[in-house]
Amino acid sequence: MISPFEAALFVFVLVAAVATALLRDILAVIVIAGAYSLGMALFYAFLLAPDVAMTEAAIGAGVTTLLLLLTIARTARTDHTQLLERPNVPAVFVCGAFLVVLLVTITEFPVVGDPGIAWDNPAITQYYLEHAPKDTGVENAVTAVLAGYRGFDTFGEATVVFLAGMAALLVLKREVFTNE
Amino acid sequence: MIDLLTTRYTYVLFAALLVVGLYIVIASSNLVKKVIGLNIFQTAIFLFFVSAAYIEGGASPVIHGEGGPYASPLPQVIVLTAIVVGVALTAVALALVVRIYSEYGTLDEQTLREVRADE
Repeated sequence: MISPFEAALFVFVLVAAVATALLRDILAVIVIAGAYSLGMALFYAFLLAPDVAMTEAAIGAGVTTLLLLLTIARTARTDHTQLLERPNVPAVFVCGAFLVVLLVTITEFPVVGDPGIAWDNPAITQYYLEHAPKDTGVENAVTAVLAGYRGFDTFGEATVVFLAGMAALLVLKREVFTNE
Repeated sequence: MIDLLTTRYTYVLFAALLVVGLYIVIASSNLVKKVIGLNIFQTAIFLFFVSAAYIEGGASPVIHGEGGPYASPLPQVIVLTAIVVGVALTAVALALVVRIYSEYGTLDEQTLREVRADE
């Protein structure tokens, strides 16, 4: 059952996303996208995922907004004479049809927060919840899985971030490793 | 319809945000805005994973002796990984946008297509 806080966040996040789609001035869009990201972080916190919420607030609302603002500083801010984008009718039609299909599918989903949902394999989840504190000495099961059981996964993730940094440097033609 | 909103609200929000993100990627002609659309699309999918792990009346997966029921930590871990990979993707995309701007002097998709056709 939806709580009043969640209902308010629901509306806020949806309005922010639609405003992002409609506004033309890119600086306004970036600021609203940052607020949207913070709203999503709060939503994750309400859904019992504090780790995800903190990561989203730091990376989604913080780092991504910073990267977008740096991009705007190095390129152009689109003309802000027009307030709103012209709606793209074929795209609205396609997206609307997709939304209808998704909503029809959702009616068949289990209720939010139902403990016995099919995709949440209870045996496996229970194994991690029981063994994580003993095996790793970490009370937070998310940290235990992230850095312990799936340590190699996280190593791969670090490799992806490293490669992304290299790719960005390569694209921007900066040679930061030489002192010439 | 009201029942759908009150009991399956995270899935409804997931669908709505997914579609808004998709619309921005398709319809916006500004390349930076397309990247923002991609980010909204991503957060919608994160919401789907996080709400799959959610248990009403449960606790976040920080284990204190005999407690519970706890939300499943496994979807949350994959979302954490996905958020970090997502920001790496955004960084590369924005680097390409900056490069495109320095090469062609525009961020508009239509103008870019015309400039490239003239070459």
